[in-house]
Amino acid sequence: MTVLRAELAKLAKGMMADPIPAAPPVDLTVAPAHIDEAAAILRFASTAGMRVLFWGGGTHQGIGNSLAPDVVMSTDRLNRIVDWQAEDLTVVVEAGVAVSDLEAQLQQRGQTAILPETPGGATVGGVVAAGVSGWRRLRYGPTRDRVLEVALATGDGRSVTGGGPLVKNVTGYDLPRLATGSLGSLGLIVRVCLKLWPLAADRGMVDVTDPEAALHSAYRPLAVIETNDGSTVYLAGTSAELQAQARSLGGRLTPGHRWPEPLAGPWEFTLRVPAGAVGQFVRSIRAHGWFFQAAHGVGEVRLVVDDVADERLTKLREAAEMMGGALVALRSPGDASLDPWGAVPASAGLQRRVKAAFDPVGVANPGILPGGI
Amino acid sequence: MSLVEDLRSTLGSDRVHSHPLELIVYDKDAGVTRGEAVAAVLPETTQEVAACVRIAAGHGVPVVARGAGTGLAGGSVPAEPALLLVLTRMNEIWEVDEHASTAWVGAGVLNLDLSRATEHLGLHYAPDPSSQAACTVGGNVATNAGGPHCLAEGTTVAHILGMELVTSDGEVVLLGGKAPDPPGLDLRGVVVGSEGTLGIVTKVLVKLTENPPAVRTLLLTFDSIQAAAAAVSGIIATGIVPAALEMMDQPMVVAVEGFTRAGLPVDAAAVLLAELVGLEEGVAAEAAEVERIAADAGAMSVRVATDEAERAILWKARKNAFGAVAQAAPDYYLHDTVVPRTKLVDVMTEIYAIGERNDLQMLNVFHAGDGNLHPLVAYDAREPGMNEKVRAAAEEMVRISVAAGGSLTGEHGVGLEKRDLMGLVFEPIDLDAQARLRDAFDPDGLMNPGKVLPTGSRCFDFDLAAREQAGPS
Repeated sequence: MTVLRAELAKLAKGMMADPIPAAPPVDLTVAPAHIDEAAAILRFASTAGMRVLFWGGGTHQGIGNSLAPDVVMSTDRLNRIVDWQAEDLTVVVEAGVAVSDLEAQLQQRGQTAILPETPGGATVGGVVAAGVSGWRRLRYGPTRDRVLEVALATGDGRSVTGGGPLVKNVTGYDLPRLATGSLGSLGLIVRVCLKLWPLAADRGMVDVTDPEAALHSAYRPLAVIETNDGSTVYLAGTSAELQAQARSLGGRLTPGHRWPEPLAGPWEFTLRVPAGAVGQFVRSIRAHGWFFQAAHGVGEVRLVVDDVADERLTKLREAAEMMGGALVALRSPGDASLDPWGAVPASAGLQRRVKAAFDPVGVANPGILPGGI
Repeated sequence: MSLVEDLRSTLGSDRVHSHPLELIVYDKDAGVTRGEAVAAVLPETTQEVAACVRIAAGHGVPVVARGAGTGLAGGSVPAEPALLLVLTRMNEIWEVDEHASTAWVGAGVLNLDLSRATEHLGLHYAPDPSSQAACTVGGNVATNAGGPHCLAEGTTVAHILGMELVTSDGEVVLLGGKAPDPPGLDLRGVVVGSEGTLGIVTKVLVKLTENPPAVRTLLLTFDSIQAAAAAVSGIIATGIVPAALEMMDQPMVVAVEGFTRAGLPVDAAAVLLAELVGLEEGVAAEAAEVERIAADAGAMSVRVATDEAERAILWKARKNAFGAVAQAAPDYYLHDTVVPRTKLVDVMTEIYAIGERNDLQMLNVFHAGDGNLHPLVAYDAREPGMNEKVRAAAEEMVRISVAAGGSLTGEHGVGLEKRDLMGLVFEPIDLDAQARLRDAFDPDGLMNPGKVLPTGSRCFDFDLAAREQAGPS
C-alpha cells in the first residue's frame, strides 16, 4: 500500500493540493487542472483499488451514503469559463467555477443559467453532480434540462465527452443527463455546456394566503414558495405583465426577488412528492413544528429537524414513498442512523450495471447512491 | 416450436403476422430505408411486450419496437432480421392528473390525441413534431422528438417524467415518476432518445403544459434568407424566446401555398413564422418588438393572425410542408442537422451550393430559432443514379453542419441513416463509452441492434490485468 501511495504521489506531482478542512482526512488531496490529469489519477486508483471522493464547494457533500476515501479530488483548478456564446444562449464552463461567479458574469449581458439562487460556495460541477435545481425550476424545468454537454473523467480513467454544445441535439446517448445527479458515481464531471435563458425585464413578488390557488391563477410563475412565515409568488416579465399577474393574484407587487435563505439546522431533508400532494404534506410538516420551504407545483419540500430518531420523520418518508416519492437527507451530522435515501429504487440492478460501465472497479464516490451503488 | 408458433401461443394468431405480404407494411418507416422483419406482433399490454421479448431472446432473434412508422432515420427499420413489436394498440390514456399536470399514456397514443384529450383542462402536450397527427408518443420518446414549439419548451425529454421499460431480459422496470428527482441515476433521461436500443418503453408519464392565455402568430416576409436570419438573431439577442420561430424559403413557400392555399407570399425569398405566447400584456409588447426587429432587418411585410382560425391555417401550412412536396416530385429526402444559431446563414449558403452543384431540387423549412435545419431534396428515385446522388449530397450537408460546430441530428435521431457518421462528432473513446452504456442495458445485443452506434464502437477496455499485477490495495 505504501508503495502504491508513493507511486500515486509521483503521478500526482504538480496536482497536489492542501487538504480540504471540511473533507474526510486523506493522505492525498489532488486538484487536476485538466481532464487528462483527472483521468490519469482515476486510472491509477482503479488499478490500485483506491476510493476517490470528488470535491467542489463542499455544499452538497451531505447528500448520499458516506464513504471513507483514500484520495480527495478537488475541482479548484478547473475554474475557467471556457466559452460563452451569448448569441447562442450557451456557456461552456469548468466544474470548479463558483455558481455565484458564473451567474454574476452572465447577468452582465442579461442572461442566466437558472442555477440555484442562494448557492453559497457551490460550484457548477457540484450542482450538476448533485442534480439540484433552484427555485425557478417551476418555470424553467430542472437543471438536467439545461446540461447540453458533459466532459467526464470516468472512474476507470477515460476522458469522455457526451452530448454537444448545441441548444437542440439528439446525436447519441444522453450522457449529460446521466451525469446530472450521478453524484460522482460515474467519474469526475470536468466540464459542462449549459443552456442559458435571457433575464426578464422586470422581477417582482406577491405574498398570497393560498399558494395552491395562486399556482392556478398565476400564469407560469417562476416559483410559488411556502415557508413557516407564509407564501410568496415569484414573477418575472415586463412590468405590465407583473402588474397583471399581481391583479389576478389579488395581492400587492413587491419589486425584486428575495429568495428564502438556506435552512439552518443539523438535519436537513428534501421531501420529493407528486406536485399535487405538496399542500397535504406541508400541512403535516407545519403541524409538527418543523422549519420548511415548499416549492408548490414542483413537488419539493425542504425541511430541518432536530432529532433524526423522531418517528414522525419515518412516517413522513413512508407516506412519500407510498406515492412514489422519497425523503432524502441533504445534511446529516456524523454517523446517521437513518438511511439517507430510504427505499432502494426498483431499477437498482440496472443502475449498478450502468455505473460499472463507467467505473468497473468502483473507485468513483463508491457506494454513494441508493442501495450502496 | 418456432418463434412464430411461440408468439402465436402467447398472443393468438390474429396478432402475429409473418406472411411477407403482411410484413411489407411494417418493415420500413417514412424515410428511405427498408429492412427485414421475421414477424410482426401487435401486443396490447406491457406484460405481452415482455413475453414477446423473452420469446425472441429464447430464439436469439433481435427485437425492434415500432410506433406509427413516421420516423425518417430508420430507427424502427430492422438492421438485421428481427421481430417487430408494433405498439400502436397500446393507445390508452390511463390517467390524467389535472393538479400535477401529468398523464400516464400508452406508447401507442398519438401525439395530437394527447393534446386533444387534455384540451378541456386547459393543458396540452408541448412537443409537436410536424407528424403529430400520426406519430406516437412512444416513437417520440424513442427519438427524443422535437417540433416547432420545442424552442421555448424543450424537446421530448423535458416532458417525460417516467416510464415503464421492458428490459432486454424481459423484465418490467419503472423509471422516474411523478415526484421530482427520483434517487439514483437518471435512467429515464438516458432512455429517452435511445431509439429502442436500451429497452422498450410501453407506458409513459408525460408532463402537460398550461395553454397560454394569449397567442400572437406573425408571418414575416423577407427578400433574402440572410435578412430573415438577421431577424432571428436580433429576436434572440433582445432576450425574447418565442414559442416558435420557423423559416421557409421561397421554393418551399411556393409548394406549400399550392397545397394549402393559406395565402402565403409566394414572391418572398424567405418567410418567418414567429409565435409568441403568454399573458396578453407581455405578448403584445413582444410582438411589437419582433415587428420592429424584423423591420430593421428589412422585412417586406408583416401579417399578424387575427384569430385562431387564421393561426390554425398558418400552422397547417407549416406542418404540411412535407406533404406539399409530394406534389413537386415523387420522392423526397428530408434532412435534419443542427448548427449554432449564429452559423445559420453560412451553412444555408453552403447547402444551397451543394444543391446547385448536384443539380438537385431543394426546398427548405426549418426551426430557425434553435438552428435545426431541414433541407429537403425532391427527386424521382426512378431516375438512374439519383438515389446515390441524393445520399451523397445528404452526407455533404451533414459534414458542412458538423464543420460549422453543429451536429448530426436535432430531432429525427441517428437510426440507420447517420449511424456511420457518428465518428464526425464523437471520438472513438466517446463512442466506446456509449457502447458500454448500451451493453449495460442490453448485454446480448438484442434490442434494435445495428442502430445509433457504428459497429466496432467498443474499443477501449480498462486493463484489469494491470490491476491484478498491482495486487490488492
